Amino acid sequence: MDYTQLNTSQRQEMLATIGIQSIDELFNVIPAEIRCEKGLDLMPALSELELQRALAEMASHNHGAHDMPCFMGCGAYDHFYPALIDQLISRGEFLTSYTPYQAEASQGSLQAFFEFQTQIARLTGLDIANASLYDGATAVAEAALLATNTTRRKEVLVASTMHPEYIAVLRTVLSDVNIAITLLEATDGTISPATVALNMSDAVAGVIVQSPNIWGQIEDWDGCFAEAHKVPKTAGISVFNPIACGMLKTPGSCGADIAVAEGQPLGNALNLGGPYLGLLAAKESYTRKMPGRLVGMTKDEDGRRVFCLTLQTREQHIRGAKATSNVCTNQGLMAMRASMFMTTLGSDGIKEMATQSWHKAHYLANEIVKLEGWKLTHGGPFFNEFTVTCPCDVTKVVDFCKSNGVLPGVAAAGRRMQGLSSGNELIIAVTEKRTKHEMDALVALLQEVSA
Amino acid sequence: MTTLKTMKKQSRGDKPTEPLVFEKHVAGAIGVDFPPLDVSETKVPEEVAGGCTTLPSFGQHDVMAHYTHLSDRNFSVDGNFYPLGSCTMKHNPRINEWGAALPGFACLHPLQDEEEIQGALRLLYETRTMLEEIAGLHEVSLQPAAGAHGEFTALKVIRAYFADHGQTNRTVVLAADTAHGTNPASCTMCGASVETVRTVNGQTDLSHLKEVIARIGGGNISAFMITNPSTAGLFDSNIQEIADIVHEVGAKLYLDGANMNALLGRVRPGDFGADAMHYNTHKTFSTPHGGGGPGSGPIAVTEELAPYLPVPQVMMADDGSFYLDREREKSIGKVRSFIGQFGVLVRCWAYISACGPNGLRNVSETAVLNANYLAARLCEKYPMPFFDPKNGKFCAHEFVTVPQNLLDKGVTLIDITKRMIDYGVHPPTMHWPMHDCLMVEPTETESKQALDSFVDVMLQIADEISSEIELVQQSPLESDIARADEVAAARKPILAFK
Ligand SMILES: Cc1ncc(COP(=O)(O)O)c(C=O)c1O
Repeated sequence: MDYTQLNTSQRQEMLATIGIQSIDELFNVIPAEIRCEKGLDLMPALSELELQRALAEMASHNHGAHDMPCFMGCGAYDHFYPALIDQLISRGEFLTSYTPYQAEASQGSLQAFFEFQTQIARLTGLDIANASLYDGATAVAEAALLATNTTRRKEVLVASTMHPEYIAVLRTVLSDVNIAITLLEATDGTISPATVALNMSDAVAGVIVQSPNIWGQIEDWDGCFAEAHKVPKTAGISVFNPIACGMLKTPGSCGADIAVAEGQPLGNALNLGGPYLGLLAAKESYTRKMPGRLVGMTKDEDGRRVFCLTLQTREQHIRGAKATSNVCTNQGLMAMRASMFMTTLGSDGIKEMATQSWHKAHYLANEIVKLEGWKLTHGGPFFNEFTVTCPCDVTKVVDFCKSNGVLPGVAAAGRRMQGLSSGNELIIAVTEKRTKHEMDALVALLQEVSA
Repeated sequence: MTTLKTMKKQSRGDKPTEPLVFEKHVAGAIGVDFPPLDVSETKVPEEVAGGCTTLPSFGQHDVMAHYTHLSDRNFSVDGNFYPLGSCTMKHNPRINEWGAALPGFACLHPLQDEEEIQGALRLLYETRTMLEEIAGLHEVSLQPAAGAHGEFTALKVIRAYFADHGQTNRTVVLAADTAHGTNPASCTMCGASVETVRTVNGQTDLSHLKEVIARIGGGNISAFMITNPSTAGLFDSNIQEIADIVHEVGAKLYLDGANMNALLGRVRPGDFGADAMHYNTHKTFSTPHGGGGPGSGPIAVTEELAPYLPVPQVMMADDGSFYLDREREKSIGKVRSFIGQFGVLVRCWAYISACGPNGLRNVSETAVLNANYLAARLCEKYPMPFFDPKNGKFCAHEFVTVPQNLLDKGVTLIDITKRMIDYGVHPPTMHWPMHDCLMVEPTETESKQALDSFVDVMLQIADEISSEIELVQQSPLESDIARADEVAAARKPILAFK
């Protein structure tokens, strides 16, 4: 079904109103040579019942967190979210609306996005946040541009312990705009403030450090950003995990000027990597250079408190080539999901999730290192994710666990992780969803495969 | 006047302002509970401990009430006529939502091995090939997250192609003066400078195009970004000549595919000389706009540009299995994390599969028919610079009106659009591509009754401007709120609740 609604006599009536005989006349302006007369070579239309079958059939060929305990992380986490989120977000009034340009017809979306912005600002300990970007990786790139645009400097220092895909995207985005990336080398899986100090100069616009980093290690934001700030105006850019903000020091409390993240853990499904959402929060001084949509609070003519899109003169539709970013369509619905999630849980709920993840991850790590030959790859503190070095081939470990119905984690080696390692490290994530039973079963499998 | 003011207040009195979640906080209350911890605790070292404590919470019923109240304050395609030009606000079929939510799609981790996600990769591969066929181009990348991101990605691809061919001088991109703002903004993100090409009567001014090329030097130009049908809702009948002019100097023709809804199954961009283009699946292929996103912006390119597409690319192996190619030697690299807006692409696949080839052609025909019907019924009261059916001048899937006759009577364009809100119609796109215009795009999924009601509303507003102009000037009178003070909002921005 193509979802059109006109019958033949209505079409005739409409053609008559226009004053033509056939629809083809409306397409006469298209030169004959380029018309697609033979029709498109596509499969014939499917009815809704056939679609349901075809979609269910394709879905049945996939295995994932729905039928295996999932210990995979590295930027996408199998967190719990309450059932009400799927229900509320399906409301057509949210789902089928456009960007809220018309404040008088869109107060629902606008208020929800304003609440989202405030929640993200509070979660990060910063002043403001925008209404979402595409994903974590592009948010990092926008943060780098925000820092370089405000300082007009041409270099960013980037922790080599950041998610390799974020580094890859940053390289793509900065490659043609004359901004250099200097990678900071790690010492035992984290960036030492001394390494930041060594690389600082007055050409540096920002220092980007992710914590917990790709290995799961908690970085010393305080120390790194203190070094960054020794050069005035250099931005400390933290890449954070929103759930970790429930129990660990927030970016703002560690001296970050800008904070960006993958927002998926806040109530969004794994979705094979998208749609997710990029979070971007910053100190107030960045307000007029922020990329993306911003919702502001104002009054209507009768004095009511209302909301509208604001500072649009930063944006592409007004400013064109001089806009702060090219982003137009963002991840509004994902932001609304995140906001519903934060509203349902509050700080207490997010803290509970974070704390349970912490205890479970530490329980599992402790159990694994009891096994012969298994050890933690790094010595520093971690949150809900940690890296172990397998005593045998990591691919064998992963395959063995999967054949026993468990997704044991992400192997650090290989193309998928952009060549992060060539060794036998396995990066294991533990959310509040994992049970002791599942963890004990994983430990048993690891023991068996390495015996 | 006073009576009107009073009326305004009264009609809104029954919908009180919805408090912010921050004003509803109940200490100790929460919307959901958790199982008890089933492992021993591990102490959190002081140097890392902290955490945000200021997010409000309250009981579950009130969470439902909050968002239900907010949803009640939103126009949507489901509930309203939403003729927002260039945005293609068509019906969003729910089978697509159903499919995307299947656990076998929604619960897949993006770093899983290919063997476990064959069904998902098949869907991506089929989407890729269907979009290649619809574009008439060699290869599609599903990576970009939205239209603007597609522009950025494709411009990067073109740049990489030229760099690889030793033509690093090509740093200028041409764009029409009616181009969407993302076109020039994407150029800047790619380190290209933008030169504007004039349009006349909604079409590219060929002589100006040639002039600009001569002035800049063909060897310095990488691409001309064109929107076709144009943002004025007109098919550019000179498109082949434009393609020739651009190709003659070795540059590429980029199609902003935002208006593909007018072309589906009728014209394939590759057949008129486009070298690269983006789709907006959230326009053409009915994936919901979601209050601003998510979208997705797949790009299609010619064979010579294909080696530079971003990684990963979904491929079919000789044995019929599917895999992700992450090793393209000449690729521009990654443009986003993981493998694209998968959930959006599920919906896109479902929509194209539901339509089939004939359905897609009927989509574009009906979209164009609906727009011309509206234009024909409205053009007397709402003058349209490019619409003249008696002389064979039709619009494509959308049209532009500049209601100068009404504005001359003492209303502004904003007045007209705010009055539309009173009648339950979402205002069309305003002031783009020209000043004081409305850009109306009904889409193919509207019924004749809906189109006729819209005409009634527009004619009624035109009458009101003659008979009771205050009604229009003071509108909206019936909406949830009176006009928002956007000037104050921008002067002293309040972006977070304190
Ligand atoms: C003509 C045109 N080009 C580009 C875009 C940008 O697309 P997106 O919003 O998906 O980034 C839009 C829509 O917003 C558009 O109408």
